[in-house]
Amino acid sequence: MMDIRKTTDRDPLFDALRAELSRLETPRGVEAELLQAFARLHPPRRRRFHVPGPRGWLLAGGLSGLVAGALALAVALQAPRVEDTPQAHPLVALDESAPFIALDSAERIAAEPAPRMVAADVPRTSLAALGVPLTPENAGESVRAELLVAADGQPLALRLSAVE
Amino acid sequence: MTTTTTNNNSADTDLLRRMRSGAADAFAALYRRHQGPLYRFALLRCGSADTAADVVQEAFMGLLTERFRFDPLRGQLQHFLFGVARNLILKHETAHRRHQALPGTDDDDDSDGPELAADDACPLVRLLDNEAAEEVRRALALLAPHYRDAVILYEMHELSYAEIADICQVDIGTVRSRLSRGRAALAKRLAGWRTTASAA
Repeated sequence: MMDIRKTTDRDPLFDALRAELSRLETPRGVEAELLQAFARLHPPRRRRFHVPGPRGWLLAGGLSGLVAGALALAVALQAPRVEDTPQAHPLVALDESAPFIALDSAERIAAEPAPRMVAADVPRTSLAALGVPLTPENAGESVRAELLVAADGQPLALRLSAVE
Repeated sequence: MTTTTTNNNSADTDLLRRMRSGAADAFAALYRRHQGPLYRFALLRCGSADTAADVVQEAFMGLLTERFRFDPLRGQLQHFLFGVARNLILKHETAHRRHQALPGTDDDDDSDGPELAADDACPLVRLLDNEAAEEVRRALALLAPHYRDAVILYEMHELSYAEIADICQVDIGTVRSRLSRGRAALAKRLAGWRTTASAA
């Protein structure tokens, strides 16, 4: 469709009216009402994670308390572990192949602040009381042993590493 | 002019798209761009500031709720809004006529009868401070509505015949005819005032 706008033949009669009307705008209240209507039609989107209200906090606290109680009960009912008892000091069980033979009381061994391991050749005759076989042929021999020694040199326990 | 129009269309389209996606600032910007001309058109067309404000509000509310769906491919938003406002005013006038027995007019009737623009107030109630402007407004208010549309859109909003034809849903020949008759009726009405003003 051809545009036949003729801007030059506008009637000057309307000049005053144009000037007067150019100052007029829609009352401000209309914009405010429209923006309110817009807000109603486009409510703000809900956040995925939102701060819960008092009831939410109450529920969350209750659930957390229940879980914590159940965990505490489970831990309390669990049997104590051997390693946690003072009688079962870990030094005795260092070697899985052979057990240590205590030469002193368990309390003394457990109370020793700085025990150390020492390898030594012990005469068989000294070990006969511990059940080491002793015959006239091997009576002069020695047995390789590991000794758990206290800081003052006192032997606390012994483990035979090679008994023939 | 064409570049400006294209830029305006593009800006309107962008604002509309953002408005539909929920951007309140886009809706506010759109409203501020178009409310002035729309309000002035409605004010001259119906002669009542309250009704004009209602018409502007309803037009934008319709745009917001998509009761009035604008297609950017079919023209400018401003013209679309003029068309919406005109239809709302016609609807308003039709409802108003049910309560008031006014003489009917056909489309090309050049009647000088009381084609009152104002619905809830007398069109002769002063709206403007400037006397010359107010006289022209009163003369316009007494024109038949279909002449008033053409004269307001052409003289006040500087639209082309084609644009007015599109807004009023008539052909260009009808626009030309209505404009000519409207101007003649206006000149006739204002002749007396001009004589008085000159004498003073």
